[in-house]
Order: sequence, then structure tokens, then C-alpha cells
Amino acid sequence: MDASTSSKLKDLFETKLNGAMRLYLDTCARCGVCVEACHAYASMPQTRYTAVGRAEVIRKIFKRYFKLEGKFSPWLGEVLSLDDVTLDLVSDAAWSCTGCRRCMTFCPFGIDTQMIMSIAKLLLIGADKEPKLLTMLADMSIAKADAIEETRPGFEEAIQNLEPEIRALWAGSPGKNAVTVEAEGADVLYVGLAGAHSIVPAAAIMNAAGEKWTLSVFEAVNFAAFLGDPKKMQTIARRIHDEAVRLKVQEVAIVECGTAFRVMKYMTGAHPFKVVAFVELIARYLKQGLIRLDATKLKGRLTYHDPCQIARNGGVIEEPRYVIRYLTRDFVELLPNRDQNWCCGGGGGLVALGEQDFRMKSAKVKADQMRASGAQIICTACENCHTQLTDINAHYGIGMRVEFLSKLVADALVPWGPLPIEKTQAALGAGQE
Amino acid sequence: MAVQAVADAVTAASKAAAGAAGAVDATTTASIAAAPAGLALVVNWIDYFIMVPLVYFSVLVLVLGVAWRIVTILRAPAQAYSLRLYPAAKRPGVATLVDTFTMPQVRAHKPLFWVFLMVYHVAFVLLILGHLDILPQVNIVAPESRHMLGAGAVGVAVTLPIFYFIIRRFRSPVREISVPSDYLLLFLLLFLFLFGDLMSWGNSWSAHGFVMTKQDFAKYFDGLVRFSFADPRAVLPGAHYHFAVIHVLLADLFFMLLPFTKIIHTFFSVPINLLRRR
Repeated sequence: MDASTSSKLKDLFETKLNGAMRLYLDTCARCGVCVEACHAYASMPQTRYTAVGRAEVIRKIFKRYFKLEGKFSPWLGEVLSLDDVTLDLVSDAAWSCTGCRRCMTFCPFGIDTQMIMSIAKLLLIGADKEPKLLTMLADMSIAKADAIEETRPGFEEAIQNLEPEIRALWAGSPGKNAVTVEAEGADVLYVGLAGAHSIVPAAAIMNAAGEKWTLSVFEAVNFAAFLGDPKKMQTIARRIHDEAVRLKVQEVAIVECGTAFRVMKYMTGAHPFKVVAFVELIARYLKQGLIRLDATKLKGRLTYHDPCQIARNGGVIEEPRYVIRYLTRDFVELLPNRDQNWCCGGGGGLVALGEQDFRMKSAKVKADQMRASGAQIICTACENCHTQLTDINAHYGIGMRVEFLSKLVADALVPWGPLPIEKTQAALGAGQE
Repeated sequence: MAVQAVADAVTAASKAAAGAAGAVDATTTASIAAAPAGLALVVNWIDYFIMVPLVYFSVLVLVLGVAWRIVTILRAPAQAYSLRLYPAAKRPGVATLVDTFTMPQVRAHKPLFWVFLMVYHVAFVLLILGHLDILPQVNIVAPESRHMLGAGAVGVAVTLPIFYFIIRRFRSPVREISVPSDYLLLFLLLFLFLFGDLMSWGNSWSAHGFVMTKQDFAKYFDGLVRFSFADPRAVLPGAHYHFAVIHVLLADLFFMLLPFTKIIHTFFSVPINLLRRR
């Protein structure tokens, strides 16, 4: 690596040194309490798969260029210079971390490894060593938004083609569209993903609740957040922000996608509308008696995987459990669960990148956890988690059914009116009034 | 001129010390009865430098270094979004203090380590109080007591955990994540505390009882806070004086290293814990 590139990377590093980052880089005592927090280490016990092991790569570069220690006694902290060998370590650290922040719940200081890895990802972008697939996906998101008027007719036609599937779950009012796209006057803007699975169940549920909702023309997924490019991340999120402002909606409901939810709710500044995860909307409909579920429909023991970005990092922890109470009485928690749940191993862009070998090896602990639950069905509220759990299920031969929570809810929708007696009893047992 | 004045002060103080020490330790008195010369004079100079000027310098480095570190953090751009973890604490401030001072995360995942950490940190606070208590102006333990606060127990309570921390550091997986400064800081603390134990506790084991008492240390501290620049040899009698010098040297090093090493967590623990709660 030439001196100018090294200097440029040092400057890039400096752009990330806000107050919080300085605290994170300065304070680690290398006590090792975080070591066992990472699912990758629990599955493959190697130092490079520990939170501290990853953070130390960045911390050693920090010491080299921004601390007196790096100038006068570099051996004390085994500092690292910005060169090709170091960038290989940086890449290994960045792309073995899913950004789940479970380590943060172990650390006595609460050091955020995901934040520190944002430096790693930025350095890789600066050195043109980032995963090009993510760059391409992020650029495509931006390009699609720029050309939205050209693609709109095709998009609207594709959405109209989903009508039969939606009506199969919830008939709705005849003569009224099951989905409207960017309709003014809606209260809720629903932002989905590419793929009918992210739209059909949600549309059925919102229609059943009588919600005044409309569909965004954009995808919720933010590949730039995985990539670690803050500017592109803001650009992608901004499209949805501007759309919601233009439509004057009160709420933006984000599809079951953890990163999309966290980015939109917490990482893109204040919005003049409320941002909710779709599962929050379902829980609210149930609390308000706007939808009704048949608790006898789901056969088999159910468990729930807390997506890291929705639960530990997003605060949506009890709402899914509230919804599940209406779905079944045969529910069992994964152990550990909630904020301590093991990451599935697919976050941080790893699912988008493929990385099948690493994802499966690093998910052994997750497979063990799934198997130990004794459940026949596992549901979740995140696209990445769903893909990863499906892959784990197949790879480790667990034999579970992997479902989206919204899909289970949509399948269990029933109209108001008298239920057969056995269904009423089951519903009462499951918490339904 | 100033150098000559200090030299005179050291020589005069050494003579005075010889007189004071005579009643306590005849051997020491014999060795320093004559005006020190040659190597002895150099050693006296070094002792004096460590016990007085270096103490002021190290405290100055500590204060300015910590202030500089805090200002650096405060002047850095603010974090743009919340780094909070969920479930959210109802009272983030209280939760931050609980996290900082009781380390529930460590208790949950490494209970034995937590016991040693708690003993160490509580004892360290008592250690600071014990040293402040040496000042004649502060009275936690009765001024006439020959013992420091805890009668040596506080020193043992910081020393034993350090042994545990060192053993832990040498064992996997902590060894793999350690860097040389981690070991050096632990050994610095170990020897700092061992010499402290010798001063506060071990020195009472001599055949004549205490060689140096809390009252003796009080005279030394009083000289420091009054900026008298007097040679501490005059008030700290006996052959144990060199142990005191080594203890103070290690303390000086600790003060100077604190702002520039991970020991800065002393000051950063609260704000960093606040980040995951706010």
C-alpha cells in the first residue's frame, strides 16, 4: 500500500472519531468477559471471532496513529500500521461480525463492537476492498429510486397481480383494491421488500384490521448499512422519509427486516412520523380488537427467534410474544431469549453476501439452541434471520418449519362472529377474548 | 543557585534524618551519621527526587492528562444516534451507576472474576481514603493510631485480586487478547501494592514493633501539601525508608500512566456506560 492510500485511510478513520467512538477505543480493559458472547466464537472458539479480538484490530490502528503510545512505545499495545496485511485483518474482523451487539450486554463498559466495526468497514471502502456485491446492491437501491417513475407502472402491475393471494388470506371489500401504492390520505405507509412474501401477509392483516394504509414503492432493506457506507445509508433511508412526508402519513411500518427497522427508527435522525416494526402493528391490532386469530390453526410446538436488530437493538421484545399468545398455546421460548438470544449468524450483510460456509459454521450454537427447544416450528420477524434459520435448519438437519410471524398471523386470520365452541375455547386459552 | 539550595537542603535534611533515625535504628544511624558522599549522596538525591519533586510532577501529569483526555472527548463530534440497548432502563442514570459500580454483566457471566473485581475496586476506594487519612487535616482513623485505615487489610484486599488478575491474564482465552501493556500494568500494580503492604502492615512485624507509623507518614504528607520541599528522610526513620521510596516511585508511575492507558476507565466508566442506557 502506498503512503497516500495509507494517509487517506488514516483521514477516513479520523472521520469516525466522535466522542462515543473515542470512549469505546480508549476504555477496553481486555478483561475477556465478552469472549463468550459471540455466536461465532461459541461455534468456533478462535480469538478472531471474539468481540475484543475484532475490536483490537481497530484499536491497534487507533493507537498507532492517534495515541502517544503509538509514537513512543508501539510495542506496548502491539500497534498496527495501515498496510495490506492489516487490511486483511480488518476485513476478517468486519465480515465475521454480524453487528448483533450481544457482546455489549456482556461488557462491563458496554463497548459497542458494531460501532467499532463501522470503522473497519469504512477503511475497507476507502481501500477499495469492501465486498463489491454489497456496493452493487446499495448502488442499485439508489439507482432504482432515481428511476422510480420509469419502473412505477411495472411495479404497480406486479402488486395488482398479488390481489388473489391477499384475498385468499383475507377477502376484504369487493371492488376495493387489496393494495394501494403511494395513496394519499393513508395513515400508515408500509415499506416492504422485493418479494411477495413481504407484502401478501402484511396486506391481509392490515386489510383485516381496516387500516388506512398504502404501500411504499421503495424497498426497506438498506444494503449500505451492511456495507458501512454512512452517506449511502442516509440516501437510501431518505427516500422513504421523503415519501412518508409527501404522503403525510402518521406512521411508517417497516416490513419484518431488523436492519431496515433500526436504520429507519434510530439511525437516520428525527422524523415527523412514527416508525414501527410490523409486529408492533399486529400487536396493536390485537390489543384494540381489530383483528381476530384462530388459535387452533397452528399445529405443532412454536418457538420464536428474537432478531437482534428488532429486540436487543430495537426494543421490540414483548410485542411478538403478545401476538404469539393469540396464535397458539403450545409455545416454548428459546434459551437464552430476548436481549440475550443468540444471533442467528446471518446479519451484518452476511446473508446478502452468501458466505454459506462461514454462516453455517458460526451458527452451530444457534442450531443447538433451536434443537434444544423441542419446537417443530420456529418463527421470526426478520428477513435475514428467516433466511439464515432456514439454511441452518437444512444444514444441520433440524427438521423444523421456519416461518415469518406475519405469515402465521395472516394464516390464522378469522372474521369476527361466533366461532365453533372448540375454537372459542382454544382462543380463550390462547389469550383471545 | 536553586540547585545549590536544594543540595544544601538535602544534605541538611540528611543530617537531621540521621539524628532522628538514631533512636530507632542504630545500624541505619551508623551508616548515615557522616555527611553522605559519593554514591550515598547520589542515592539520597534520587530518593529525594522520587519522594518530593516527582510526586508533584506525577500529580500534575495526572491532573492535566485526565483533563486533556476529558476535553478531547467533549470536543469530539457528538454521537448522531442512540446506542442504547433494550429493554430500556426506566431510569438510565440510575442504571448507568448500577452498571458502573456493581458490574452486573460480569456478575452474570463471570461470577468469580466479579468477586475479585468488586473486592479490588471497593478496596481501592478505601485505599484512597486511607492515604487521604494520612494527612493531618483528615481524620478517619484516630490521629494517634499507628495503623492506616484497615490496619493493613485494605492493602491485602487490593493485592490478592491482582494475583488473580495476573493468573487470569496468563490463561487462555484472556492471554490471546492481551498486549504487553496489560501485563506491565498488572505488575506495576502488584509491586506498588506489595510495597504498600510492607509500609502499612509488614513494617509492624519488626522486633521493635512499627518502624514507620501513620504519624510518620503524616509528617511526610504534611510536608508535601505545605510545599515545604523538606527531605522526607528526616521524618521517615529506619531502613524501611527505601521501601517507602520504591512505593512512592511506583505510585508516581501509576499517576503518570493513568491518563494514557486503559486505567483511564476510572474516569470514563460512567460516560461509556451511559451510552448503552441513554
